Amino acid sequence: MDFREGMEHKYRELLENYIKDQSEQALYAGQKFSRKTIEHKISPEEIVSLHKSLLVEMHPELPKDVIDSFDLLLEVMMGYGLTYRENESLRSKQAELRSEMEIAANVQQTLLGTTIPEVDGLDIGAISVPARHMNGDYYHFVQDENNCISVAIADVIGKGIPAALCMSMIKYAMESIPENRLGPGSILENLNRIVEQNVDPSMFITMFYGLYNPETNILSYASAGHEPGFYYNAAEKSYAELKAKGLLLGIEKKTKYMNYEKQVSPGDMVILLSDGVTECRTDEGFIERETLVGYIDKYIHLSAQEIVNKVFKDLEKLQNFQLRDDFTLIILKRKV
Amino acid sequence: MNLTIDTKKTDSLLEITLNGEIDAYTAPKLRDTIFPLSEKNGIKMIIDLSGVSYMDSTGLGVFVGVFKNVKANGGHFQLNGLSGRLQRLFEITGLADIIDVNRQIEGEAK
Amino acid sequence: MSIQSCVTIINEWDIVAARQLGRNVAKELGFGTVDQARITTAISELARNIYLYAGKGQICIDKLYEGGKPGVRINAIDNGPGISDIRQVMEDGYSTSGGLGAGLPGVKRLMDQFVIESNPEEGTQITATKWLR
Repeated sequence: MDFREGMEHKYRELLENYIKDQSEQALYAGQKFSRKTIEHKISPEEIVSLHKSLLVEMHPELPKDVIDSFDLLLEVMMGYGLTYRENESLRSKQAELRSEMEIAANVQQTLLGTTIPEVDGLDIGAISVPARHMNGDYYHFVQDENNCISVAIADVIGKGIPAALCMSMIKYAMESIPENRLGPGSILENLNRIVEQNVDPSMFITMFYGLYNPETNILSYASAGHEPGFYYNAAEKSYAELKAKGLLLGIEKKTKYMNYEKQVSPGDMVILLSDGVTECRTDEGFIERETLVGYIDKYIHLSAQEIVNKVFKDLEKLQNFQLRDDFTLIILKRKV
Repeated sequence: MNLTIDTKKTDSLLEITLNGEIDAYTAPKLRDTIFPLSEKNGIKMIIDLSGVSYMDSTGLGVFVGVFKNVKANGGHFQLNGLSGRLQRLFEITGLADIIDVNRQIEGEAK
Repeated sequence: MSIQSCVTIINEWDIVAARQLGRNVAKELGFGTVDQARITTAISELARNIYLYAGKGQICIDKLYEGGKPGVRINAIDNGPGISDIRQVMEDGYSTSGGLGAGLPGVKRLMDQFVIESNPEEGTQITATKWLR
């Protein structure tokens, strides 16, 4: 209330100064004044009213029509004042929602959390960054008693909260499947039945499931419509698409998934990704898969975790720091 | 960027031409327009995508939903004019095997 | 103690009449121009809601005295369709998103006290009061 009391005096001073010499300085003072009035939640109609009453006081000779015109102006400014106050309240509500979202995102992280296993002979790196608050991508590592590593990477078709909620279900579905030496194809078949029954009919999930045996160095894998990853052959220094055929999860109850196998040699890499990586769109269009390979190759001498981190940083920059889709990149590198 | 939806209907044949981008913002409009049309029994729905410059996975979701509905009502669903990028998207997701022409696997899946 | 007079709202001209009544009462009680404008804007909003959604209703303006302090009370009454979700209409951004004006949260902000009662198919009664400071 202190400001309100002094406001009249301050505004009179500004007005007098401006009427005297119409200087830019006086106008600048006016701008600073408006910052103060906004800060103290003075509505525009109050300013109009103040202006009018000061004019009457300072210039009693002014024609009545001029003075009266301010009543109309005041009425017109009324709506602006209300809109302004509504915006203020919406803004604070937005801040509330944002902090709720942040909490939800943290809860999701805890729910879906997975730790990258430590395995002799295998270097693993993973990064997953949501485009908005919550992540519709998901990856999961499990190390069984035979030291076999299973890795799943999944993407819900759809973005934001609905996708994230759906993904939380997938994790628990995966944990409910007995992993006693089921092949990746059978695991996907089991998951498909669960997704088909339980998820909204317009929501689908893509998933790549891989099983790496460190004894034999064989990767067996299957894909449910997931963006194909890459395989780096160290001996030939070449990249090839990690092809696997299979339908999205949640469409047909009786879908079958094929098992594929790959013998992994020392220095070879398995690169898994979500479509947020390949759908990376710049001003010139989508990045080509070859371009992506170029980015990975640039960092090939580094550790798996460093590679995924650096590739993400580069692609983020390429898109002017605006992710359009959730981004997940995983690299498994057989140590030399 | 926006999406325009033109529909042409003759008897049980429904031709839909799409122009523009299909993403999280335009997909609801697409769904609301074509989903009710898929309810009709025995309809043949042909969607032309040659004017679609961009489609993300939300668009895919709409088409799969409509496809399932058309099929459930004994109709036929076909997508035409896919760009190389879209073609690849349908192939990766395995949808190219059940939607469009490849009836072998569609029969098997039943 | 209160002295009341009412305007029946059927068409848009009645909104003007209600505003005029409110302004006269506010002026009489000594409200300044800014508060007069706030009170009339609130009346406008309530009268418009009656005109647009209920078809017919009444705006009544009371002079109130509480502990010697004068105030204006607006009573907006209609037997229209009523509001099924009051919480929703009292939410910022709900009614204004279509550019329809201040909406009920705006009225609440303009006045000192605001009470709403509404039942579907029975109509709506809104009472809003502003005290002279």
